[in-house]
Amino acid sequence: MIPDAPEAGWDAIVIGTGMGGGTIGRALAEAGQKVLFVEQGRAGHRAERNGLSDIFVPEARAARGLWPDPLHATLNGRETAFYAPLGAGLGGSSVFYAATLERPERHDLDTTPDRPHPTGGWPVGFDAMGPYFDRAARMYRVYGTPDPLSVEDPLPLSPPPPLNATEEALIDRFATKGLHPYHAHTAIAHPQDCLRCLGSKCPRDCKMDGRSAGVLPALATGNAALLDQAQVVRLLGEGDSVSGVEVRHAGALHRLTARRYILSGGALGSARLLLASSSKAWPEGAANSSGFVGRNLMFHLNEMFALWPPRGTPDDGATKAISLRDLYHAGGDRLGTVQAMGIRASYGEIVHYLNLMLARSRLARVPGLRQMTRLPAAIAARVFGSAQIFVGLMEDMPYPDNRVTFDPANPDRLSIRYDFRPELLRRRRAFRRAIARAFRGQRRVFLGAGPELNFGHPCGTLRFGEDPAASVLRPDCRAHDLWNLWAVDASFMPTSMGVNPSLTIAANALRVADTMLKEAPHGTS
Amino acid sequence: MERLDPKDGIAVVTGAGSGLGRALAVELVRAGFTVAGLGRRVEALQGTAALAGDGFNPVAADVADAKAVDAAFAAIRRGLGPVALLINNAAVYPHRDFLDETAESFMATTAINLGGVVACTRAALVDMVETGRGRILNVSTFADIAPLPAASAYSVSKGAARIFTRALIADLADRFPGIVIGDWMPGMLDTAMGVPDGLSPEDAARWGAELAQRMDPSLTGTLFERDAEILPPRGLKGRIKDLLLLRRRAPRRIETS
Repeated sequence: MIPDAPEAGWDAIVIGTGMGGGTIGRALAEAGQKVLFVEQGRAGHRAERNGLSDIFVPEARAARGLWPDPLHATLNGRETAFYAPLGAGLGGSSVFYAATLERPERHDLDTTPDRPHPTGGWPVGFDAMGPYFDRAARMYRVYGTPDPLSVEDPLPLSPPPPLNATEEALIDRFATKGLHPYHAHTAIAHPQDCLRCLGSKCPRDCKMDGRSAGVLPALATGNAALLDQAQVVRLLGEGDSVSGVEVRHAGALHRLTARRYILSGGALGSARLLLASSSKAWPEGAANSSGFVGRNLMFHLNEMFALWPPRGTPDDGATKAISLRDLYHAGGDRLGTVQAMGIRASYGEIVHYLNLMLARSRLARVPGLRQMTRLPAAIAARVFGSAQIFVGLMEDMPYPDNRVTFDPANPDRLSIRYDFRPELLRRRRAFRRAIARAFRGQRRVFLGAGPELNFGHPCGTLRFGEDPAASVLRPDCRAHDLWNLWAVDASFMPTSMGVNPSLTIAANALRVADTMLKEAPHGTS
Repeated sequence: MERLDPKDGIAVVTGAGSGLGRALAVELVRAGFTVAGLGRRVEALQGTAALAGDGFNPVAADVADAKAVDAAFAAIRRGLGPVALLINNAAVYPHRDFLDETAESFMATTAINLGGVVACTRAALVDMVETGRGRILNVSTFADIAPLPAASAYSVSKGAARIFTRALIADLADRFPGIVIGDWMPGMLDTAMGVPDGLSPEDAARWGAELAQRMDPSLTGTLFERDAEILPPRGLKGRIKDLLLLRRRAPRRIETS
């Protein structure tokens, strides 16, 4: 059922309920604005605990809060389709995330004399974002210890839970090797009795995500409402304004209106929706006079490796507690952070990983091979045993030809084109060498031979900037072309940074909410 | 070992007016549970109440009637509290040669033995998916493996109920690992539905009630016969894998005090 609009109408329709949508919806609702969340997936049941899944039945995926359909990717010209780690339900992808809320480095946003920024710098710099990083860290109840290598003021962090023996042994070992590990910045409200839902849905208000820290507190204010299982088909309007959104709900099309339209369907979904909104008025799609909608798509490159704790270390389970930034910017290269993934090399993870590799390899068309990955995975799970999986997240660079594509014949399909640039592959080699050097003398093995994109971290597809000819959004994340449309998911980022995007998405959403509230305080319309 | 606690909620036993259902209800009341017993015959439920004592609440409902089941569970929820345990026990076993069946008589049996399980499970899940915690134990048989003569409707419906257990697990287990779902075969019992020299329902119910209170998520998808776990058959490939992974499993047993 479509919630009744307040008498004066909705102040904002928020499309998508992940980190960006959940955060801005809460900020607006707490300030008295009337907010309608429109979510494509289901509200679901709070007690659900499932993780990502490769189940291929769209209805079963939808019931689990997963994006129902595969992502169609053309990588270096080769077509492939697979299930990306994307959510479609209350909280979006964030309900499946590992709650890693790390602040970027200054050079991720600013151009500095010794670290020039590839785009000349974000239109909103590190210092301007600073207070919002702090607010987001408090709102998401982030714990951890400061990065010893950072010269910036630390985030306001709660004290982390004590390290277990495995973590302590790893951290000691890293420190003696000259590295600077710290307790990863983690958005968990109740570390004492946490169920460790990193990679799966948390059934309590413990893991802080777009649902638990965003939508649910927003609904609790009484100023917000949720319409779930409602897919926004296109934005309506002409000239420089949006006049409504067309929503498919319970088999029928509806038109919903508000004073502001806030896009937060993810960097893939938001760009797809704007491209799908092409009309006579907007032949290239909504907000796309620059032609940049969907372009400059970036991910992170995942460099995964298994690391065995020193012999004799008690096995206290998987760690997620360790991060280090020793290799973040090394040898003049923009690389990225290294962190524990919170998984031991378990059977299920390895099957999932091998199948993803298979889907993108030349062997993808051999029938029955998917099942065959189970036995090597079972053996690998034994061999890796107590190894901890670490990942180096490497920054990806913006290229206009790497992009979200839209096929009018398959309007609901998420599809992308992406080419691996020689520059990226060169930095990857440098990153691997740097990792090998940094962890020398410790039992370790790289997982995966080829470059692995982190399909859970798409960004950049509606970049913000001063120049309407070279960006989609203004510095306040309002569309250059449409005065009542904003975007607050990872699509605004001009560069992908060397850290997980979540804290930056949340911080930016709070910043955008602030600019809106300055313009129209207390829900007047 | 994780156990279901009477504080978790109400125990519902279907077919609680006689035989195994009555004995299960008595056992669960003895273990401290508030039990709602479903059955068609009020006077039979009263008999169970007389045996079980104060913790037993008779609820007259025909499990074959999905609307009546929904109303019964709504009344239980309202009057007693949320449902944490469901034992799907109600069943009929008409001994009838297939040439004496009509399509209607056959489907009437299916409506109880399969439809009743579906309706009660759906209704019980309303509470369980909110807390993420619950126990569903389906009383089942091997009747589907090699159907006896004059047992077509029984074999088919009880076999389908076993498939239903597996299908339910496919939908729920990864989302609600705290809702533990499995099958239990009490064996041949000395009841109206069973055989004269069978096991006494009171003895079998001690195992069933104990199994129903066990909440270890690894019990989801298991099959117990009397007091022992029946492991699924393994093919050659599976056996080799188990050997490689040093993972050969031993069947579990239900110990009762």
